[in-house]
Amino acid sequence: MDYLIFSFSLMLIYIGLAQLLHIQFGLAGIPNFGVVGFWGLGLYGTGVLYVTYSFPLLAAIAAASLISAAVAWVLAYLVLQRSGQSILAATLALAAIVATLVVTEKDITGGVQGIGTIGFPFSEMANRNVIYFGFLLAVVIGLIWVSARLRDSRLGRQLIAIRDNEELAASLGKDTAAAKRMTFVVTCALMGVLGGLSAPLHQFLVPYHLAPSLTFAVWIALVLGGKGHNLGAMIGVFATFGLFDILIETYAPVPQDYALMVPNFKLFCYGALLVLIIMYRPTGILGEDAPHERPKAAPTPVPDTPVKEG
Amino acid sequence: MLLVDAIFIGLLEASPLILAAMGFTLIFYLNGFMNIAYAETITFGAYFAILFNVVLGLHFYMAIVPSMLFSGVMSVIVYLGIFRPALNRGVGPTEMIILSVGVSFMLRYGLILIVGPENLFLNEPNVTYMQFMGLGATNLQLIALALVVLTAGTLYWMIYNTGLGEQMRGLANNHDLAMASGIDPHRTSMVIWFIAGCAGGLSGVFSGVFAQVTPYMGWNVILITMLVTIVAGIGSVRGAALAAIVAGILTAFITLVSKPLYSEVALLLAFIGVLTFRGARTA
Repeated sequence: MDYLIFSFSLMLIYIGLAQLLHIQFGLAGIPNFGVVGFWGLGLYGTGVLYVTYSFPLLAAIAAASLISAAVAWVLAYLVLQRSGQSILAATLALAAIVATLVVTEKDITGGVQGIGTIGFPFSEMANRNVIYFGFLLAVVIGLIWVSARLRDSRLGRQLIAIRDNEELAASLGKDTAAAKRMTFVVTCALMGVLGGLSAPLHQFLVPYHLAPSLTFAVWIALVLGGKGHNLGAMIGVFATFGLFDILIETYAPVPQDYALMVPNFKLFCYGALLVLIIMYRPTGILGEDAPHERPKAAPTPVPDTPVKEG
Repeated sequence: MLLVDAIFIGLLEASPLILAAMGFTLIFYLNGFMNIAYAETITFGAYFAILFNVVLGLHFYMAIVPSMLFSGVMSVIVYLGIFRPALNRGVGPTEMIILSVGVSFMLRYGLILIVGPENLFLNEPNVTYMQFMGLGATNLQLIALALVVLTAGTLYWMIYNTGLGEQMRGLANNHDLAMASGIDPHRTSMVIWFIAGCAGGLSGVFSGVFAQVTPYMGWNVILITMLVTIVAGIGSVRGAALAAIVAGILTAFITLVSKPLYSEVALLLAFIGVLTFRGARTA
């Protein structure tokens, strides 16, 4: 039962990350392939501040996400106005740098041996993991709500305009660079917060947690669910992490000899799913949802003109 | 002296990277997307070498050419089966990269499901260590370097001096105009994917014989290959070769003066820096 709660808590973290990626890529069109880097800065930042410098947990999470934000700001300043492929390569490189530095700076990060133990919040209560799960649930629901509100806001519409045609948006007098940079920094900081919140779940941090597979799992979930749909991230994580990591690994009767092959089979299926989705349904399971139309202040119907939806 | 050492070691170590970067660049230039699944072309090259060298018992040098050709054929099959249909459907460049990540996962974990996750070793030919003016290298390394120089030279000549290279450059620059001039895009693309596959396979064979053959070997070099390609400028094959050599020498130099892992960090930071000044701008 404890393990199941741990799995579901981890699933919430994935949904949160995919939701933030939906803002970055689905709305603003920033291909961030360094999700694990920003999440990892939050995770390890929290771990190091908590264990090595004995910060209280909340202060450690806040400080660590500020580190994520600072790194994101520098990276945004350097490459965010370059082509999508440059952004992709630079963020991927950043994730590799974070993973390498965690191994080399073993005086503060514990190197390959890892660092721990990170204390669990609500430790005085009996069902603390259930309470923590509820807390994460509230955070993730909040994220989904904020991103739905964001999409219908002025900033959201500006981001969509930038995604579709940045030069056109700039020609309308919008400071596109500032809007993209601010979105990127805030979402990366929130990835850092999710990283900090994962630290008590993992309790003991090892460099293996920073493998690029997390980035790809989140991307696969988002593309599968629908990158342009506000609930796509959630559906995608259910269809990947929920189906394979929770349902199959917990309940499927796999013979002992093949148990080690299950993760490889899972990743093979992720790859196949991704190929099928992009070939046959590039907008994902849920497709794209348009921003909600605001009710017009004074509707003046024009009788003879056919009105097109969407 | 440190500098001479760095250049020498860098050249030896960079030889697989040079081939990989040139092959990766060919596809990037022709089709305009970064093919992450190229990592698996490299890996499969090494596994084909295992097939010929260890399973079938061929001498290592005899196994090089068939492994290379098999990788080329595999690259064409992947192109015809997945990437060409996707390109015909009008999938955008970023989605193509995600698609290639999917292909890469399928091939890599498909390989693990069939062959197993263990590390394998090629039967090396007799290795003798040679020294010349204070620089040491094995004969295998020198042969690899010679073969890489030969292949890279052939590739270079093919791109810049033959009809095929001209057709490829024509297709990459203006697809419709090239077709109107009578260039068959399917034939040219297939040949280019075959050549790129051969280069990747050869790169895999050499990285495999210098260390070991693992399912992740291609994945481990694809990031640096990607960065080398972007820094070199899209589709510049000579730029890719040059950037790979510089990357090799830089890595060797920093490794000599500091920890090896720091050289990786410094290299990645240098790449981000180059992207800042040389990357294609949007608005």
